[in-house]
Amino acid sequence: MQATDKITRSDMPVSPAEGVTPFSPEFIARSRALEDEWRAKFDQLAKKFGVDGASYVQRTDSGLPVKPAYFPHDVADTPENVLAAPGVFPFTRGLNAAQYQFMPWANQPVIGYGLPEETRRRMDYLQAQGMTGYFGNTFYNLVYDLVSHEGLDPDHPAAEGRVGQCGMAVYSREDNARLFDGLPLDRMNVVHISYYENLPVLAHYLAYARRRGVPWEKLGGNSMSWYYQSAYVGMTCFPPKAGMDLAAELIAFCTKRMPRWNTLNLFGYGMEEAGATAVQEVAFTVAAGIDYARGCIAKGLDPDVFLGRFGFQISQANDLFEEICKIRALRRIWARKCHELGARDTRSMHVRIHTHTSGAVLTAQQPLNNLIRTTLHALGAALAGVQAMEVSTFDEALAIPTEHSATMALRIQQILQEESGLTRVADPLGGSYYVEALTNQIESAALKIYDEVEKRGGYHKCHDYVRAQIEASALRWRDLVDAKERILVGVNKYVSDETQEVEVFRVNPESERIAIERVNALRANRDLSKWEAAMAEVHRATERFAAGEVGGLIPAMVEASDADATTGELMAVLKAHLGWAPPH
Amino acid sequence: MNQRIIRVLLGKTTMEAHDRGVRYLATKLREAGMEVIFINFLEPKEILDAAIQEDVDVVGVSSSVEGHLPVAREVTRRLKENGKEDVLVVFGGVIPERDFAGMREMGVKGIFGPGSSADSVVEFIRANVRPRRVHAE
Repeated sequence: MQATDKITRSDMPVSPAEGVTPFSPEFIARSRALEDEWRAKFDQLAKKFGVDGASYVQRTDSGLPVKPAYFPHDVADTPENVLAAPGVFPFTRGLNAAQYQFMPWANQPVIGYGLPEETRRRMDYLQAQGMTGYFGNTFYNLVYDLVSHEGLDPDHPAAEGRVGQCGMAVYSREDNARLFDGLPLDRMNVVHISYYENLPVLAHYLAYARRRGVPWEKLGGNSMSWYYQSAYVGMTCFPPKAGMDLAAELIAFCTKRMPRWNTLNLFGYGMEEAGATAVQEVAFTVAAGIDYARGCIAKGLDPDVFLGRFGFQISQANDLFEEICKIRALRRIWARKCHELGARDTRSMHVRIHTHTSGAVLTAQQPLNNLIRTTLHALGAALAGVQAMEVSTFDEALAIPTEHSATMALRIQQILQEESGLTRVADPLGGSYYVEALTNQIESAALKIYDEVEKRGGYHKCHDYVRAQIEASALRWRDLVDAKERILVGVNKYVSDETQEVEVFRVNPESERIAIERVNALRANRDLSKWEAAMAEVHRATERFAAGEVGGLIPAMVEASDADATTGELMAVLKAHLGWAPPH
Repeated sequence: MNQRIIRVLLGKTTMEAHDRGVRYLATKLREAGMEVIFINFLEPKEILDAAIQEDVDVVGVSSSVEGHLPVAREVTRRLKENGKEDVLVVFGGVIPERDFAGMREMGVKGIFGPGSSADSVVEFIRANVRPRRVHAE
């Protein structure tokens, strides 16, 4: 990525194919004649199987109709989409001209369970197994626990049985020390996977870094800013507009103070896990991203300054080709929408993708089959040219990954990268009539949904619409599974009584008690007057934020974290001022 | 025939992102003619308050992220304390087999893991729900 790689209106081609005839009329005519010849043979075969060839149609998992075979003329009406190159706008064929040839995708498993030092042990273990980020850097993809997501501390009654579950029990600056002491903060990347406790989590990390003497400018990593997902996830949340403003607050702060920090993650994965089709995932991801970008522009930010710090987390599920084409279509749509929004730096138009292979399609039945499924998912992501990957572990439907299952997931990536020859050529599927045609199909289907969202005033104004669409797809999927029209091996076909014994991970039951003791000790030992003064300032800063002020909330929270305020305490202030309720 | 409609309370902790299964089940139970009340709860006592208020026949809790044991303990204990032990308690989601026996002992009658069909839940409820009460005319 060159800093000078800018696109101006004059050099942005409407079509790189303009002025040339990519497919001559004669060529098209020959292609159509060939299709007729093929069609006769196909219909004949179909008849043998008792199928009427003329009415025969197959559909992708999203419901898009596909032909039994594709020909050059199937992509002839969009020559600008065929005449494309990896690393060139609109990036259908990938962001990077070399794709994986000098730097493979990053292996980024999500880590987080139990106490911070337990998570740290898994971090160190996976790093020793060859988990590497971009440019060979150390990279940690860390997920916070459910208690933290809910904006509570571990001693809250509702936290019982959930401390350190599905994430790490980290609630304070002190817990950050337990997690990161001894690691070179200025030479590593940390993704903080948090939900609506996004700001307190960043504040703890910043307060901790400051105590370590590491300038914030040198910190690399990611905040998720997943507020928009309250449209399709049933967790308690801030109202949609407040969520969008909180995202803009973090983006504004980081734009000024943390140039290496990625500020927003567009979480298509969560949409597809909630039931969205691939087409919906593309449409709603772009709709959320563009709406949030407008929210930032409204607060006076320049799209070329903040858009390059947006990232995407995209699912890779069972329909191999549709999932690949989804990513190609997403890159094209996003690049064009960002250009329309006023971005001119190509980095502002990039869909940097962390693939999370689907967990929803993994099964508790015959769990080792999931190794095969996730290998196919990872293959699809690699063929689509994503930047980073987390492969779900085979015990996904059973529990938090064991060390063994986490290692297997890493090995899948390493085998694909280093044994299969997959990384030899950039966009190896580019130019496949089917792949290009399906990419076009997904693009237009997604744009229809996107336009509907825009008609409703933009993403944050129509959470109910988004939810209803995704839920309808979830129901349809399940009905198809129940009717055996969507096959899940081991669930509705090839069911076996034979049980595959696999080890099931369990979080140390002592973790909860220790986490509670720690938060109690923290409260007992902290300088109360310093804490009170800092919390009072967080209250005032939140009031000013609610009144429209930009940029004051994170600094106030950092001071509070430095005075040993907890995630639960900081979130309580936000909840009180901004509203907090189940989304539906 | 004055067959009483079966009333079901389905709950999921607000902390949990996984609500696809339970919301699907809600739709399927409604299609099967049951009345379904769905709540996101923070603390288990909220389920009980709702169960009593709504006079339900079945309480179903979805859990895919651990924390099911304290919820099961609290719900079954409070139902008993309130003389509601005839309310059918079922759990679904990702619940490790090692916890099944303990939960059954508490009074959880049905546990439905990943891949369970909605039909199997409907059948189970119909077979195990308390006999309909005779309404004095």
